[in-house]
Amino acid sequence: ASVRAYELRTKSKAELAKDLEDLKTELASLRVKQHSSSSGNQQQQQQQSVPRITTVRKAIARVNTVISQVQRDQLRLFYKGAKYTPLDLRVKKTRAIRRRLTNFEKAQKTVKATKKERHFPQRKYAIKA
Amino acid sequence: MAPKTTAAAPAIKKAAAAKKAALKGTAAKVTRKVRTNTTFRIPKTLRLARTPKYPRRSVPRTPTLDAHAIIKFPLNTESAMKKIEEDNTLVFITDVRANKRQIKDAVQRLYDVSAVKVNTLIRPDGAKKAYVKLDADVEALEVANRIGFI
Repeated sequence: ASVRAYELRTKSKAELAKDLEDLKTELASLRVKQHSSSSGNQQQQQQQSVPRITTVRKAIARVNTVISQVQRDQLRLFYKGAKYTPLDLRVKKTRAIRRRLTNFEKAQKTVKATKKERHFPQRKYAIKA
Repeated sequence: MAPKTTAAAPAIKKAAAAKKAALKGTAAKVTRKVRTNTTFRIPKTLRLARTPKYPRRSVPRTPTLDAHAIIKFPLNTESAMKKIEEDNTLVFITDVRANKRQIKDAVQRLYDVSAVKVNTLIRPDGAKKAYVKLDADVEALEVANRIGFI
C-alpha cells in the first residue's frame, strides 16, 4: 500500500492524524522485528533486514509534509490582507534584502524635483539631413 | 466703576485669586514628600500582560518526543527474557532524552499496561535501557507476546 501525497491532500486533518498514528505503530512493530534476535543467531547484535521499514519511514515523512503544507496554506489565506503576519509566513529571502528600500520608496521624489522634471524635461532633437 | 471698587474690593480680590488658582491648576503648589528612609526603592508600577497583535510563530511547535519516539524497541536478550519471566518486567531501549515518567506514560499509551516502576540506565553505546516493572495483575509474558517479540 503505497502512500501518495496527492491522495493525502484530499483527506481531512483528523484522517491524516489517524494515518500518522497507524504508520507509527506499524513502524514500531517493524522495529521490534528488526531488533528481535531469534534464539539461533550467531551474533546476538545482528540486525535483520526489514525492507518495508524504509517505505514506512518515508510514508510518515510524506504525511507530516502534507499536514504541514496544508496547515501553512490555510494560515496564509487566513492572514491575507492583514497588517501583521506571523514571522515564518513572511518573505524569507535574506536579512539584507528585507532591509532594502522598497521599489515605492526608491521611486519617491521631492516636490521640487517632480516640478523640475515636469517643466524642464530633457528634450530630444533630431537634425534634418 | 470708581464708587463700587472701594466697597467690593476684597470680594474682587478673592475672585481674582480664585481665577488665578483655577487657571494654574493644582500642580502650581509643589509640596516635597517627606522621606523617612535613606534607601530609595523602585516604586511599583503597572505591569500589563502581553496582548500581541500577531503570533510570532504561525503554529506552536508540536513536541517531537512523543510516545512513539520515546520507546524505540523492546529487548529480547537472555537476561531480558529472564526479567520477563521472573520479575514481571519488560526491557526497552528508549530515547536518551526520555525520563522515567515519560517512559511510564509512553508504555501506558502504546501497550495499555500500567507500570509500577521504571529503572533506567545508559548503555555504553549511548542508548538508554529501561526496565519497566508491570503491575501485578498483568503478565509481562502475555504483553510480550502481544507486542510480538518472543
